[in-house]
Amino acid sequence: MKYALFLGCKIPSGLPAYATSTRAVLGHLGIELVDLEFQCCGYPARNYDRDAFVVAAIRNLALAECHALDVLTPCMCCFGTLRQAIRMMTEDAALRARVSRSLADDGLVWSGRATVQHVLPLLAREVGVDALKTAVRAPRTDLRLAAQYGCHALRPSDVTGIDNPVAPTIFETLIRAAGATPVDWPRRLDCCGDPSHESNAPLSGRMTRAKIVDAQEAGADAICTACPHCHLRFDAAQAAESAPAMPTLLVTQLLGVAMGLPAQSLGLPHAEDQRADAFP
Amino acid sequence: MSPGLFQTLLVASLALCALGIAWRVAAWFRIRIGPDARSVTAWQRVRGVLATVAASLSGWRGPRVLGAFCLDALLLRRLFANAPWRALAHLFVVTGFTLLVLTHALAPFVTARLVPGYQPTLEPWLFVRNLLGAMVLGGLVVLVVARWRARSRMGLPHRPRAALFATLLGIVLATGFLLEAHKIASPRAFHRMTDAFAGAADPTALASLRALWAREYGVAFDVRTDVVAADVTAAGRRLHEEACATCHAKPASAFVSWPLAKLMAPVAGTLDAVSADAWLLHLHVLACFAGLALLPFTTFLHVLAAPFSLLLDAVARHGAAPARPLPLAARATRRALSVDACVRCGMCDLDCSVATLARHLDNRYLLPSHKLVATREAASPRLRQAMRRDARALADARRAADGAFLCTDCGRCTRHCPVGLDLAELWDAGRDDLEAAGLPAAATWVRERPAIAWAESLANVGDRAVLAVVDASRAPLACDRRTFSRCVQCQTCTNVCPVVAHAMDADPRSAADPGVDLTPQKVMNLLRLGLPDLALGSRMVWDCATCYQCQEQCPEGIRVADIMCELRALSVRRLAAVRDVAEQS
Repeated sequence: MKYALFLGCKIPSGLPAYATSTRAVLGHLGIELVDLEFQCCGYPARNYDRDAFVVAAIRNLALAECHALDVLTPCMCCFGTLRQAIRMMTEDAALRARVSRSLADDGLVWSGRATVQHVLPLLAREVGVDALKTAVRAPRTDLRLAAQYGCHALRPSDVTGIDNPVAPTIFETLIRAAGATPVDWPRRLDCCGDPSHESNAPLSGRMTRAKIVDAQEAGADAICTACPHCHLRFDAAQAAESAPAMPTLLVTQLLGVAMGLPAQSLGLPHAEDQRADAFP
Repeated sequence: MSPGLFQTLLVASLALCALGIAWRVAAWFRIRIGPDARSVTAWQRVRGVLATVAASLSGWRGPRVLGAFCLDALLLRRLFANAPWRALAHLFVVTGFTLLVLTHALAPFVTARLVPGYQPTLEPWLFVRNLLGAMVLGGLVVLVVARWRARSRMGLPHRPRAALFATLLGIVLATGFLLEAHKIASPRAFHRMTDAFAGAADPTALASLRALWAREYGVAFDVRTDVVAADVTAAGRRLHEEACATCHAKPASAFVSWPLAKLMAPVAGTLDAVSADAWLLHLHVLACFAGLALLPFTTFLHVLAAPFSLLLDAVARHGAAPARPLPLAARATRRALSVDACVRCGMCDLDCSVATLARHLDNRYLLPSHKLVATREAASPRLRQAMRRDARALADARRAADGAFLCTDCGRCTRHCPVGLDLAELWDAGRDDLEAAGLPAAATWVRERPAIAWAESLANVGDRAVLAVVDASRAPLACDRRTFSRCVQCQTCTNVCPVVAHAMDADPRSAADPGVDLTPQKVMNLLRLGLPDLALGSRMVWDCATCYQCQEQCPEGIRVADIMCELRALSVRRLAAVRDVAEQS
């Protein structure tokens, strides 16, 4: 399997551990990742100018198409955005014509051949639970984790289609494959609050806090994430606390640790610091 | 040029250069970018920077900091990683120019003291001077071409003063080579020298000497006026050894000037007649002085600012483990320094995550090189005055704000900057300045007045051309009745909305977060009633987290969240058109 890795903007600047751990885990599983000259997925422009948003998104897919690759992203928001752009291109012929003209300036063509995939369904379906269980050397049976799906992975389901939008199981399956126990938390499908942060920080803070409290009450050791926006929002909400009530753990870090990959390649502190620091 | 005039001009240009540098360097500590920079004085900044740098250099990580600085500032490590050809050209220019200044311009003070019997017309200086000059000229040509290509490709800002400075540098080099070539070929120069050093020589020996110099030293005698022997005799050669050889080597090793002299040979007499040597020398010296005086007022000030920036960068990245942010005094200085250290090389623009958006939105302020200049302007109180007076300045400042707030903070510009600017930190500070200047993000300024006030403004402006047509291509769902007319007002969207749910805990008296004004279901109803303007400025539209619960759960399959996104894009455009009208009323 070979994919063009679309890291987006948030991961390289705010959460480089997600990039390194994704590369480490997927590399270990024999998936080849290629880096292309991608730009922003278009997400911030959606509130500003629809055409600019779609051009920005589709340019990335046209670039992947140019290299005959499908796109894989670890970011839920990039995933949702790129898929939304495909939907808009498919259902609006006038838009498609305008965007194609704009892409032609760069010598790019979009025909819809490049698909967009997220790390979660890739691991759960394409790699498969059996292959993962074989790769796991040190199952983390000690961990109880709250799976944070991320809105843009699940909804709108006719665009994202990674799992059942009201009763998804894909993330819990991965947590079990790593030997850990997923907790049942009522707010698991709720929004982390990040998209509202710029326009209304107090509201966003309440949304984040409610999820943290919920995960705590469900007895989770950490919230397991698969999106940099959710992950960093949880961290930011607890930044002022000396010991965060609810640590965050990336799904790729969890699997990497269970596979026995070196802590440094997962962006985790060295093994001896793990208990005390980021790793729960 | 008389020595008096030479000295006067030299002192004047040196003084201008020194004053200019002092003025520009003072600005690094005086200019305040970011509201937090106002809490430290210029003097505190000077002391803070010195203390930070001294502490990190003297600590046990000092060698690492110094090593990183040397690699970045002297060997241009970052530039080599991004553009090896430009880096090589840059190294050629810097090395060549520095060595030319030392060995050639300051020859009486440096070379003559270090090398006994120094003569500029002896080896290795003939060759070295040409080598250094060719390095500078070649590097300069590569850099100018790279700059020109980058400019036409990315529309980088034009800098006439920098272009003037580069032209002056080109003039200095060109006149240097031409002057040397002219002196090689010039019969008059030959006569001047033989009059001084071989005045009493036998005429036949002199004729023979001329033959030798015509053959081996490239002097282009005019046979109508000068007697040039057919052969070089022993007497001529002896005369050469006695009078010339101690100071003159064969100029063939001057690999630029020598072929130039050959080219100029046919006109050597004419050039003598018009005193070309004096003209060229004047031009050479005046261009040097003009360049010196102009230096602090161009982007070539980066010769000081860039190493300073790279030093602070080395301190920030290697001064502590794990790396921690610099103290505010140093950060504030680094921000102010950015505009002077930036050479507008455009590498940040080339790899900018929102470059496609910048082009499509036709807003250059999304690109780091333009945003950098706008950030410094936004920090200045002059911008606020200009905004009040001049509608165009206001529109421009708002575009700059659009650019600043659409930036995704991906940090690529910072990672690629060859002069080590912390652009990510600068953008953060710049956005705070924009907010303080009344230029916040759309999500903020839309919320400054209630939805009903916006709707009234839109109604008052009525059917002005800008508002006459809702652009259906920008918001196809919100403008198409078929998408929302099925709504039965069942309130499912409202019931599953996290914004509505969490608004229960909002404080109605708070300005930032007074709770929800319209629920999603009411927004849909306004669309059904054909009153979209009433929804455009609503907090619901702008608070929406786009979690898509409403859309997923809608029993009628209405794309509620998608419509919310479209309403925002619509409101940015429509409310912006009545923003000033609303503020005046």
